[in-house]
Amino acid sequence: MRLERYPGYRVLDQRGHWDDATRRIVLDRVHNVPAFAHFTPHQRHILEALCERVLPQAHKPPERRIPIVPWIDQNCARDVVEGFRFDDMPPTRQAWDEGLAGLDETARALHGAPFADLDGTRQDDVLRAVRAGNPPGATWERLPARRWLIYVALRQISGVYYAHPYAWDEIGFGGPAYPRGYFALNHGEPEPWEVREAPAARGSQP
Amino acid sequence: MKLHVHLSSDWVLDTEMREYPPREPVDFCIVGTGAGGGVLAQRLARYGFSVVALEAGPWHDSETDMVSDEAGSSRLYWNDLRITGGTEPLELGANNSGRGVGGSTVHYAAFCPRLHPSDFRVRTLDGVATDWPLDYDELEPYYVQMEREYPVSGPARWPWGKPHGYPYAPLQAGTAGLKLVEGCLRLGIRVIAGGPVAIPAGRVGKRPHCIMRGFCLLGCKVGAKSSIHLSHIPDAIAHGAEIRTRCMAYEVAVDVEGRATGVRYYRTFDDGRRVAEEQRARAVVVAGYAIETPRLLLNSTSGRFPDGLANSSGLVGKYLMAQAGPVVWGRFPEPVRQYKAPPACASTEEYYETDPRNDFVRGYALQTVAPLPIAMAHLLVDENGRFGEELLAAMEDYNHYAAIGVLGEILPDARNYVSIHPTAKDQYGIPTSYVHFNLFENDRRMMAAGIATARRVLEAAGATETRYVRRYAHLVGTCRMGFTPTDSVVDRWGRSWDVPNLFVCDGSLLPTQGSANPALTISALAARTADWLRRAVPRGELRNRPAAVAAAAR
Repeated sequence: MRLERYPGYRVLDQRGHWDDATRRIVLDRVHNVPAFAHFTPHQRHILEALCERVLPQAHKPPERRIPIVPWIDQNCARDVVEGFRFDDMPPTRQAWDEGLAGLDETARALHGAPFADLDGTRQDDVLRAVRAGNPPGATWERLPARRWLIYVALRQISGVYYAHPYAWDEIGFGGPAYPRGYFALNHGEPEPWEVREAPAARGSQP
Repeated sequence: MKLHVHLSSDWVLDTEMREYPPREPVDFCIVGTGAGGGVLAQRLARYGFSVVALEAGPWHDSETDMVSDEAGSSRLYWNDLRITGGTEPLELGANNSGRGVGGSTVHYAAFCPRLHPSDFRVRTLDGVATDWPLDYDELEPYYVQMEREYPVSGPARWPWGKPHGYPYAPLQAGTAGLKLVEGCLRLGIRVIAGGPVAIPAGRVGKRPHCIMRGFCLLGCKVGAKSSIHLSHIPDAIAHGAEIRTRCMAYEVAVDVEGRATGVRYYRTFDDGRRVAEEQRARAVVVAGYAIETPRLLLNSTSGRFPDGLANSSGLVGKYLMAQAGPVVWGRFPEPVRQYKAPPACASTEEYYETDPRNDFVRGYALQTVAPLPIAMAHLLVDENGRFGEELLAAMEDYNHYAAIGVLGEILPDARNYVSIHPTAKDQYGIPTSYVHFNLFENDRRMMAAGIATARRVLEAAGATETRYVRRYAHLVGTCRMGFTPTDSVVDRWGRSWDVPNLFVCDGSLLPTQGSANPALTISALAARTADWLRRAVPRGELRNRPAAVAAAAR
């Protein structure tokens, strides 16, 4: 069990101080998790396993876990374009479909089983091989492995996670601050409604 | 039509806006409403010209459309498909292209430094790149105007470039900004806190003062940050300009004599209907920034202009520049809480100029940046692909980081360019841009030096660990101004050498970029061009093509 860096901090408790538009968009993220519309059950299985390796949540009580896969599924279903595509990469939706298949290929080549069936240590092996850029698997002959891992997988998974107010609690982020604003600007001091870091964690090295 | 848009907490733009029938020619049709197009529209309307400005995006109502939320702000950005390649493919969309009235100034950090006098003479001084067809002194009065009109706050005396002072007092700094100040002071590096940043320390008109909320890059809900949709667009409308939103230009129309006659665009109505229209105009100004401007010109092909409009030089789209913008962050033992206060706070331009001791020419500035949680997570994963416990633990240290952005001058190179992608199209079916970006030796050396200096500064301020990720910011240079029809796309006023009533008025104009954030320079150039047009139009100068500048006059 990880120690809470900011014990008892719940940024959502401040929602009464937020403006309507911001409150709506953040609460919608918490309460209205979209239904699946793109990934197959097998793909979801791989992606769930991947998310747990990227930002582990098994140690948390279920009601505090941040849903990630449904939002990536929604982006794929809507075929969202975020301003650009690298000329050596397929469109995002296709990149997810291919990359998840690639994880299975690498998992089979390195450890003889599909990605989701491996234990955490072996899954990390697979991810490190992909990150190194030249993993076994036919998919990676056309899909740049390191770029896929960082720009598609890690960026999107961490983007969904740190968009969630439960993640803001973990890192002590003050969250939305309009119209109230901040006034404790000096020496990294918390606002009266923010929580100080736990003394044991303070100054710890990553 | 009636407008009702919140521009700030206390200010609703509640006014009648003039509408022009597209079939009847206006004096000027401007494509884009950002730092260039917005200021030009305001000036030309004030000078009595009829003006229609086409904006691809919507109005961003500060109360209903802007949110204090990183993931919920994508509507501010130019997120249409573009293809990016080269040795250092630029990430487009979020950080460098705006969509909506005010353009990128809606989501910029609002650092507004001037260029230095040396920036206008890089070829003469350093033997690389090119000189500008104007010098600093010619632009200076317009810098002064823009610093008052945005307005910009900063110190009473800014010591770099040509020293000058700012009309509004420095803005208060947060803890993160003071780390740059502290580190520089310990190393004996001159540094300035509180500007130049276009966030006035006090109230300006109907704009409240800053509440230190730290979400500048997601649009200022307060209306404290100076953006063109606050500073210039309302005045443009009051003087009879029409800002026609949700209109995506796809072609500049020309007549048989090779003169621009208007702009063709797709207009999207509130009910979702999309129709093709053409606004006729006696002169056309393209102000869509360094990707959309060359894209529109290159897509405007005809029998007379088979390679695109204004492109007899073959230089439309060439010399794309981004500034090197590596982010260097340090971990401090004490809490910093970098999310408070505007990220744009302190800077030093001590390394801006060419220094013979360096193994490169030109230089860089150091500025404060303050990544919000998603931006911070992306820095951490980009740096080395970290995941799992390593990522969680690094993010739990979020409140212990302070970051510095290196802003460095990448030199213009014809191998960096924007072209039309052979197959890819955007959601309108318009062929999209293909952006090519590579780093060259001088750029690499400059960037390495900037990163090293930023690390030294953070360490001097007490950071126990420093890390960095290479990034790029700002996009300029793709329709450069110059001296002759063969060395450039437009003349010193932004006028096409080929099409006498066609102008470019945005960052595309810049022959070189210095290490200054470009918004203020773009606006100053727009105000200068407007002054020239005020005199030149009545004299009939737009009837004939511009003359090259004689060598002696350079």
